[in-house]
Amino acid sequence: MLLKRLGWALFTILFVVILNFFLFRILPGDPARQGIRDPRLSLETINAIRVRFGLDKPVINCFETLNPIKIGSCGVNPLDTQFFIYVGNLLKGDMGTSFYYNRPVEEVLGERLWNTILLIGAGQILAILLGVIFGLFAAWKVRTALDYTALISGLVAWSLPTFWLAIILLFWGTNMGLPIGGKATPGMSSYPFMDQLGDLFQHLFLPTLAYTIIYMGEYMLIMRSSLLDVLAEDYIMAAKAKGLSTFQILKDHALKNSMLPLVTIIAINLGFTVAGVIQIETVFSWPGLGGAIFESVGRKDYPLLQGAFLLIAICVILANLIADLTYSYLDPRVQVD
Amino acid sequence: MKLTPTPKNTSTAKLSVFWSSLRRNPMGLVGLAMLAFIVTVAILAPLIAPYDPKSTSGITSSDIYNPPSAAHLFGTDDAGKDVLSSFILGSRISLIVGFFAAFISIVIGGVVGIVAGYYGGRVENILMRVTDIMLVIPDLPLMVVIIALTKPSLFNIIFVIGIFGWTTTARVVRSQTLAVKSRKFVMRARAIGAGNMHIIRHHVLPLVLPLLVVQAVLTVSAAILNESTLSFLGLGDPTSPSWGQMLNFAFGRGAMSTGAWWVLVVPGFGIVWVVLSLTLFGQGLEQVLNPRLNTHHLMPGKPTVQNGRVDLDQEKGALLEIQHLSIHYINEDKTAARAVEDISFTLNKGELIGLVGESGCGKTTLMLSLLRLLPAAGQIVNGKVFFNGKDLTALSEEELNTVRWKEISIVFQGAMNALNPVRTVGDQIAEAITKHVPAMPHDKLQERVTELLDLVGIAADHKNHYPHQYSGGMRQRAMIAMALACDPQVIIADEPTTALDVMIQAQILELLDSLRKKLGLAIIFVTHDLGVVAEICDKVLVMYGGVTAEYADVDTIYNEARHPYTQELLKAFPDLTKPKKKLSSIPGYPPRLDALPAGCRFAPRCPIAFERCRIEQPSLHAVGAEHFASCHLVEAVQ
Repeated sequence: MLLKRLGWALFTILFVVILNFFLFRILPGDPARQGIRDPRLSLETINAIRVRFGLDKPVINCFETLNPIKIGSCGVNPLDTQFFIYVGNLLKGDMGTSFYYNRPVEEVLGERLWNTILLIGAGQILAILLGVIFGLFAAWKVRTALDYTALISGLVAWSLPTFWLAIILLFWGTNMGLPIGGKATPGMSSYPFMDQLGDLFQHLFLPTLAYTIIYMGEYMLIMRSSLLDVLAEDYIMAAKAKGLSTFQILKDHALKNSMLPLVTIIAINLGFTVAGVIQIETVFSWPGLGGAIFESVGRKDYPLLQGAFLLIAICVILANLIADLTYSYLDPRVQVD
Repeated sequence: MKLTPTPKNTSTAKLSVFWSSLRRNPMGLVGLAMLAFIVTVAILAPLIAPYDPKSTSGITSSDIYNPPSAAHLFGTDDAGKDVLSSFILGSRISLIVGFFAAFISIVIGGVVGIVAGYYGGRVENILMRVTDIMLVIPDLPLMVVIIALTKPSLFNIIFVIGIFGWTTTARVVRSQTLAVKSRKFVMRARAIGAGNMHIIRHHVLPLVLPLLVVQAVLTVSAAILNESTLSFLGLGDPTSPSWGQMLNFAFGRGAMSTGAWWVLVVPGFGIVWVVLSLTLFGQGLEQVLNPRLNTHHLMPGKPTVQNGRVDLDQEKGALLEIQHLSIHYINEDKTAARAVEDISFTLNKGELIGLVGESGCGKTTLMLSLLRLLPAAGQIVNGKVFFNGKDLTALSEEELNTVRWKEISIVFQGAMNALNPVRTVGDQIAEAITKHVPAMPHDKLQERVTELLDLVGIAADHKNHYPHQYSGGMRQRAMIAMALACDPQVIIADEPTTALDVMIQAQILELLDSLRKKLGLAIIFVTHDLGVVAEICDKVLVMYGGVTAEYADVDTIYNEARHPYTQELLKAFPDLTKPKKKLSSIPGYPPRLDALPAGCRFAPRCPIAFERCRIEQPSLHAVGAEHFASCHLVEAVQ
């Protein structure tokens, strides 16, 4: 079972790699070809660019025996094609060179990956924690004013466009004297560590707040409905018959059972979480992967865009795998080994 | 052959039922009204917009970022244009993208879901794998990549949002199709050789359609959010400015530093309005199609009241004494279902009373009320429950918690559901002991759990297993072990042997009987099986429609039954060693508790009912020493 899940994750990653390669080759906006079309370039320069990006090589071998309609170039060395060179470079950790930064993509993204993980981590933990607590109270006090308030605010939070909430928060935050963007105040690196940390928290506050509001509502709604199902189960009545207090029943019999669907939803949500992160990082100029996607679109920095997409997709797939394994660990009815 | 009504009739009938339940759903109605408003605005956009957003005539540099005024209700933007007019025309783009993209998603998702669910096997496997992959790949970055590499035209945006938004629909539709597929009429249609397309069109689609409608509403809202996000990221169609693009321009062109909040607030408010209206409408539809009761076991129960219709007797000093207990279920629309009315019985140490009756006659309600475990709608409206002289109906929740399980425990009907699936059986037994004997040291506690399991014939190594690893009979026995954990004086066994095979049934009965003799337990045995009653009970209370039909010791019930219902029940059991299941030989069904007959509750099914039975409810008459029956004929004999 564990091997099967691992294999499935690897398969999905491979699929993303292939998709990522061909999207950038098939769709009309192909980077190098765009550049080559510039009439000011001399033929030598064009050829030099083609060689530099490996565009002089065939895209992929056609694999005659497997492929009766002969897609790709036939009769070439399969390993000397753009696709295999791309995969080979990826395996070596080489994602190409950013047009804009003129630095290796993996280097640019490596710094940003941690910033994104910091933001997602802080936001996700807060959103889950608050969502679970509010959802718990809403379900416990079902059909009271508390429950209705929670329900309506959850639905409103769900309907908010992330970027808009971020803009509104930024508007409010700048009036409150909070930093308007980025990760650190310029020149901060010469200050003592504790000051730097405080500065980081100040910068992290608004993006995390936006992230928390957007995802907390959804987690709360799921927790509420899941807990409502659990609390209507016979084993809750049995626990009550045993003389356990409401607190004991919620803690020992309801919480774990109702968290199970939440784990699945969190896993499924990771893909959507990325959508939120792109918007939040864009509005707050947070130097993360999501911001990289936005910036590279504007700058037509395709290697960076390609790398950022691939990195995000792989992170989501791996996080999904972890959530999947957590689920089977939490629920004894699912066997892993 | 049954005549099938013309489809038009049924669909209009269904629609009117649907509409009347939607009318009672405030969430859905508010959503629908909000949606109708914005759709009207979008349709009439060119007529109601005060300015033409495409024309630049008459705009000067002094018009840039003007705050709201009489001329410009929502102020002006970075190009000096009227924000309200752009806002009104922008509604069209959002709605067009939302509806068309959702249409693509719903068609793909619906087809994938139905085909996967209906055909199953390898087709399903492949389709669901593809869905899984689509679900795990983050879709916004992928949309960004594709639109960045192609042209950001309205058509491309609709297409890209559409082809990435179908996964949830496919999953939901597939599980619904699977459920529909195993329904009887679909099996029948297959059995008589109907073609797949015919079955899908005439049997599967109509049942999947309501769900598709809900999904469509939610997909439109997701598509509108996606459109606005793409536009905000600068990937909107430049020829048709949407709300997202207005925000992109404002945010990118200094609205923030100018403090021009109106350009930032107004378009976002439009997006929230549309998305919220669709979400509310979708939630409302969902509630109408799948109504949920939204009640649970931790809701505060209704307080016990004594409406004093019946004078209470003096206490007789029995271990457990139930006096004139009446329980009603109070529904949302305030009608009361009289589930239990005026039931009295006593139970002494070591005694075993059988509570007999068909399903739905109030047995379980009566049992749950003894420990005040009734569902939230249930209310004790009269009567007392004396246990060792204490009135359980008058205790506080905390006081009652010391009686629950310690003094009176319950063997629940269906032990699978009464055991928590994610905790081990041994742990759940230990929990009961810890609650009432908190000082017990750990090793003694474990010893006690092993001993209890041993008592019901479960080997010690099953202690740390989960309920799903037990067989049905083992679970039921584990439930009994749990009920015995705190050495209670009374055990309520609610149909502990229903749904078990005959051999296991016999084992469990024997076990309960031997425990009673060994430990001096008093047992209330709820069952619809007279055979079981004959074997082990001392006394029998026959319930019908919430009232006592007859109450006597077991010999009297079997040899001198006076109530026609008891007599009919006995006729259905010619041989006591024969297993149950012949109850249906009394024609008809027990009455619905919210629509009880005016006279005797058994009259509609009684073979010897006469005029008076249909008008007047018989009271409980004493027929002999400790023998009671509620029948007009008994009174006549006296």
